[in-house]
Amino acid sequence: MKGLLAVVILDLKRLWVDRIRLISSLIQPLLYLFVLGSGLGASSTLGRTGYLHYIYPGVLALSLLFSAVFAAMLIVFDRQVGFLKAILVAPVSRAAIALGKVVSGAIQALVPATILLALLPLLHLSLSVATFFQLLATMILASLTFSALGVATAARFRSTTVFPIIGNAVLLPMFFLSGALFPLQNAPMWLRWLAHADPVAYAADLMRGAILDRYVYPPWLSLTMLIGFIVILTWMATRVFAAGEDA
Amino acid sequence: MSDLPALEAHGLHKRYGAVHALRGIDLTVWRGEMFALLGPNGAGKTTLFSILATLTKPSEGEARVLGHDTVRERSLVRRNVGIVFQEPALEGKLPVRDNLLLMGLFYGLSIRSARARANDLLNTLGLGDVAARETSRLSGGQKRRVELARALVARPDVLFLDEATLGLDVDARRHFWSEIQRFVANGGTVFLTTHYMDEAEPADRIALIDGGRILTVGSPQDLKNQVGGGVLLLSTEDNARAADWLREHGYVPENSARGLLLVEPEPAAVLPRVLAQLPVRALCAEVHEPSLEDVFLRLTGRTLEDGTGPAEPRRMGNLQ
Repeated sequence: MKGLLAVVILDLKRLWVDRIRLISSLIQPLLYLFVLGSGLGASSTLGRTGYLHYIYPGVLALSLLFSAVFAAMLIVFDRQVGFLKAILVAPVSRAAIALGKVVSGAIQALVPATILLALLPLLHLSLSVATFFQLLATMILASLTFSALGVATAARFRSTTVFPIIGNAVLLPMFFLSGALFPLQNAPMWLRWLAHADPVAYAADLMRGAILDRYVYPPWLSLTMLIGFIVILTWMATRVFAAGEDA
Repeated sequence: MSDLPALEAHGLHKRYGAVHALRGIDLTVWRGEMFALLGPNGAGKTTLFSILATLTKPSEGEARVLGHDTVRERSLVRRNVGIVFQEPALEGKLPVRDNLLLMGLFYGLSIRSARARANDLLNTLGLGDVAARETSRLSGGQKRRVELARALVARPDVLFLDEATLGLDVDARRHFWSEIQRFVANGGTVFLTTHYMDEAEPADRIALIDGGRILTVGSPQDLKNQVGGGVLLLSTEDNARAADWLREHGYVPENSARGLLLVEPEPAAVLPRVLAQLPVRALCAEVHEPSLEDVFLRLTGRTLEDGTGPAEPRRMGNLQ
């Protein structure tokens, strides 16, 4: 438990000295929301405001996804510079390090997403206290899912050259497939099927449900899927770390 | 020094695919000892180091640190050792103090005692002035001292140093080694790897390693005595001809980067005779006590700098 806490404190200290990373991670979601959102919204059947409301939860999911996975990718950087070794020889179990990384990635992802919540009144979205906490709980669940995905992936890599590939070949497709930008109901069949394997789809749907009370999937299904993803991916993350004894 | 072993290796082998990096290592390091593993690049130093420091599992054999198996009782070993790696292992963006404080947390200290321990180390290692500075902005020597402080956070009984002063200037190295001496003076055990004989020289005992095998183990003086007598170094206008002449006259010259080496029981007695009769003009002749370099040359026919692995830029001033 102490080891897990040490990982989290270390990462949060680093996030604090690296505040630029935090600020710059807000750029992408804001671009999607205001440029793409306003542009597409003008010709959408939902209307500009309707479309902005539609994609806002999707943009929250985008922010959580990218921040969480890139926080995890710092593991690769740590390995490259040698810093990871100092942690790996400490008397802390590999499982505790992996779990610590999952928790700290989730926290690092929640910080910018929470800043984006300040846009709620700007978009004329008012939530009751209950739905606000429902949204927050969903965000925490989503951040843990994406962070576990990131740690399970990042712990396998040795070189930072994979970062842009992960971004473009994994994260963006996951985001596009999730129904964050367009309603899945009207999408072609193949795309809807693919979305079923995409944790972002369930996360975005739960968040949209909390804000607009409209769901594509039954909430129990999304909850089950997200919890399932968290358990399986976290287990995979601990396995990868434990296997890395010859680091 | 005591007669309790700090480190033990029994029949260690390590294979990386087709590469047989360690070929049967047996070694004992006693508590309170400063022990150096000296050998050229690619000799297997870092592999042996990694196994003892719990970072790598041996393919065969077993290793114990303070009586604990390095594979089965890994966390017990980790709790009691500090390691300074070849590469930096600090977070450059964080202040020096935070690096030490966080490492304390990783070793199970409470925040309060981690902070106290960090301050303690900063003071004893003369880093008080730079405690609040971003670690990446320190000089090379300061960074190495912070690495040492990091390794000492958990008050280890055994300190591992892997080529720890690589690339440091003379002053910074002296400062670093005086801290190591202090650790040993307080009863600590030090296991260090190096391919510079002057870094191995202050050790209580040295193991020479080459091609994944230990060639010999002993105190620096023991090893030098193995060579027997002294060394005569001869540089001439035509070393090849001089070597031929020497062989004809019953000497055993060995080539080195600086000239021909002759190991003789009484080199000073041999020198005038050789100089007077040599058919080529001598440019330089010197007599010296055998160095560890000479020991290595005698055992392998190669110098430490030749190496068997990838070449590294040669550092000035490491050869006498």
